[in-house]
Amino acid sequence: MSADQIVFWVFAPISIGSAIAMLFQRNAVHAALFLIVNLFTIAVFYLVLDAPFLFAVQIIVYAGAIMVLFLFVIMLLGVDREEVLTERVWWQRPAAILLGVGVFAELFFAIRAGVGFATEGAEAFAETANRGGNPQALSRVLFRDYLFPFEATSVLLIVAAIAAMMLAHRRRRAITLAEQEAEGVGLLEPEVVP
Amino acid sequence: MLDLVWLVPALPLAGFAANLFFGRRLGRAAGWLASLLMGASFVVAVLVARDLLGLPTEERVHILHLFDWIEVGSFRVGADLRVDPLSLTMILVVTAVGSLIHIYSIGYMQGDPRFGRFFAYLNLFCAFMLTLVLAENLLFLYLGWEGVGLCSYLLIGFWFERTAAANAAKKAFVTTRIGDTFMLIGISLVFLRLGSLDLSTVLAPEIAGVQPSGVFTILALLLFAGAIGKSAQIPLHVWLPDAMEGPTPVSALIHAATMVTAGVYLVVRMHLFFEISGVALTVVLVVGLVTAVYAGLTALAQDDIKRVLAYSTISQLGFMFLAAGLEAYAAAIVMLAAHAAYKALLFLSAGSVMHGMGDETDLKLMGGLRRPMPWTAGMMAIGALALSGVIGLSGYFAKDAILAIASEEGKALVYWVGVFAAFLSALYIGRLVVLAFLGEARSERARHAHESPAIMLVPLGVLAVGAVALGALALDKETGLLPALLGPVLGELEVGTAGLPEPALIVLSQVVAFGGLLLAWFVYGGRIDWLALRARVSSLYRFLNRGMYVDDLYGALVVAPGKAGSAFLAYVVDLRIVDRAVNGTGAAIQRLARVGRRVQTGLVRTYALAFLLGAVALLAYVGSRI
Amino acid sequence: MSTPIAYFLLVSAALFTIGTVGVMVRKNALLIFMSIELQLNGVNLALVAFSRMHGNLVGQALTFFSMVVAAAEVVVGLAIIVFVFRRRRTANVDDLSVLRW
Repeated sequence: MSADQIVFWVFAPISIGSAIAMLFQRNAVHAALFLIVNLFTIAVFYLVLDAPFLFAVQIIVYAGAIMVLFLFVIMLLGVDREEVLTERVWWQRPAAILLGVGVFAELFFAIRAGVGFATEGAEAFAETANRGGNPQALSRVLFRDYLFPFEATSVLLIVAAIAAMMLAHRRRRAITLAEQEAEGVGLLEPEVVP
Repeated sequence: MLDLVWLVPALPLAGFAANLFFGRRLGRAAGWLASLLMGASFVVAVLVARDLLGLPTEERVHILHLFDWIEVGSFRVGADLRVDPLSLTMILVVTAVGSLIHIYSIGYMQGDPRFGRFFAYLNLFCAFMLTLVLAENLLFLYLGWEGVGLCSYLLIGFWFERTAAANAAKKAFVTTRIGDTFMLIGISLVFLRLGSLDLSTVLAPEIAGVQPSGVFTILALLLFAGAIGKSAQIPLHVWLPDAMEGPTPVSALIHAATMVTAGVYLVVRMHLFFEISGVALTVVLVVGLVTAVYAGLTALAQDDIKRVLAYSTISQLGFMFLAAGLEAYAAAIVMLAAHAAYKALLFLSAGSVMHGMGDETDLKLMGGLRRPMPWTAGMMAIGALALSGVIGLSGYFAKDAILAIASEEGKALVYWVGVFAAFLSALYIGRLVVLAFLGEARSERARHAHESPAIMLVPLGVLAVGAVALGALALDKETGLLPALLGPVLGELEVGTAGLPEPALIVLSQVVAFGGLLLAWFVYGGRIDWLALRARVSSLYRFLNRGMYVDDLYGALVVAPGKAGSAFLAYVVDLRIVDRAVNGTGAAIQRLARVGRRVQTGLVRTYALAFLLGAVALLAYVGSRI
Repeated sequence: MSTPIAYFLLVSAALFTIGTVGVMVRKNALLIFMSIELQLNGVNLALVAFSRMHGNLVGQALTFFSMVVAAAEVVVGLAIIVFVFRRRRTANVDDLSVLRW
């Protein structure tokens, strides 16, 4: 058993297990934490697959920035909110599970037919694809072949930032939930819409 | 001038257009404009007459082609006018009587809110009538035929706010429609069998050999069916008494002098067909005779002054058809002209009486009107004498000639029945005059009656002169104007030798006329309580008063089933079946929608589920293909 | 490396499936979002695996872009959730069901 095989067979169950665990959590914070575990395992997979740059980016961006953002919002919305268990549409859960199984089955057959369980990775990956190191090789691809999409994504990020600012902008003076409740002022009444 | 004959129908048509668009602004001038145009039309007719009579006798036919009307493949119909002695006589009668009635109407219709429209309709009617008699081909004639029917409908129902008037107009139109339909079939058959609709072609003597006589019987009878409708003969006579709901000038013009005579004109014009057929001639004769007697009897039992005159018209028209059936076409036309004059006179006088009586028409409530309305009384008396056939007046010349021909032909039964009908006409018109003018006033209205204005009396006077003077046109075969004029067109009057000698005929006709008048004066003049007499024969009276129940018969046989059928279609088929189908479709869609809209749960996750379902299905499909 | 690529792909498929089921089943908007992130990560894993299989870096470049887009999407999505929460005081997706029959 080579090193990558051991790593794979250790982290694969962790990955899938944490994903399933995330599903079953009632508490949002717990679910977020399990997701972070999952993201870490995926980063390890990137490493195994000879993508060290992405390994780093995954941890920094995904697990670091995005999940922290998630946690902020969960805090903002109230950590102790529990989810209601009963379903409005009774066939939602069974149907979801059924369809999930269906999706997995289809993907399984697709993989078997398309790739086959025997194929291994390309030979001499480090010399050909990762020539000069993975970041150098990746930047070669990004800045030459995919320059335009690269620039477009930068625009996308700016747009997203502005959009978020616009959406979250309060018209009235900034006041936190706690201050509201302390003053007893119902600046924002809950609107119950039938 | 002959080529300007198109002005004769065109002038009243222009009057129609003018009054239609500017009637309200013209006000009272609309009446004068209409009358002026009719008068101008009469003048043109006179000038045309002068030109036509200037031609030698054999050449007195002038065809004027106005424009191509219909051109469909090989079927060509032009708007063609024909000027010959017959059409000339007709246009002179129509324009003369028409003009006088227009002038009378200015006074009669004064104050009516739709004054302008009335004259528009009157002018339109005259335009159509003149087109009818001037038409050179049968289709153009039919155009005028239908046009006068339309105007009759419009004018009978002129006061359409009154249900009775609206119903009468509808009845008139529908009843004449029956005849018109047969006539149209006849016209189509004429074209199919004889190849043309032009009178010049169809009435040429050679036409007899083109088809067997049986065909001509059918053609003649179909055309006669139209005449039966338009001229109110049995069995399509029921509309004319009801048509009295219209204004009195309308009754005078349309239902006495002109439109109803269109049927007579048609038969006389197409007499060649009838002669070839033989059977058709007999049918015409019988229908005319029976109608004359029927209407005469019915007129005796009417209390409404206008209805007496209506049935009288039916009866007199029967006489004209009787003449046609005896092949005495010139006599029929002479009677047509004379009748136009004296019947219009009688109707307009009746209008004058109604005007003075505050629009009352019941004879039982009149009486003694000779004192407050002397002029009207005099005019009406002249008309009554003319109708009775008193010697010297136009009616005598016409009626006597017809009866004389009947006797000469050796048709004894026809002659004596005709004499009886003449007796009846004297009787009923005498009754009318006696009840209205003689004796004492029988109601408040009669006591306070007043004479009519001059604008109404002057036309009456002119017509009275005509009623007398038209006798000059006389029918004596040697000295008469009209027969000489019409002879080349209508054939010579035949003279037989079997029958009574002429002086005896004259004496007999006068005995009949004066006898009827005197009997009327005796019975209704106040000596006898005729109302009590009537009460004793009440069932007979009712029988006659209701037109021998013909109307009721039609009501039961035709109208009631028709209404039942319509009710069935409206309430069962339309309401239950059709509406239910339509509403049912709508309801079904609604139900479908109510079920279908539950897809829109509003829950995002349901939609996501749907996405996934679609994606899975798509993947499976793609996967199965690879 | 000696692990067949197919196994990585299977793991990726499993993560994707779990994410999908999570989207369907959870009612809290944030948890739905997290499930979506799980799906995206599964896909990214598959991309990198393919890149390794074919011997070029196209897959990795795509993964890079995918991460960028995911980040932007998270930003906007969370802003929306915050906004909706402010109006409606609820993070339960089922409560936002006005657009129904």
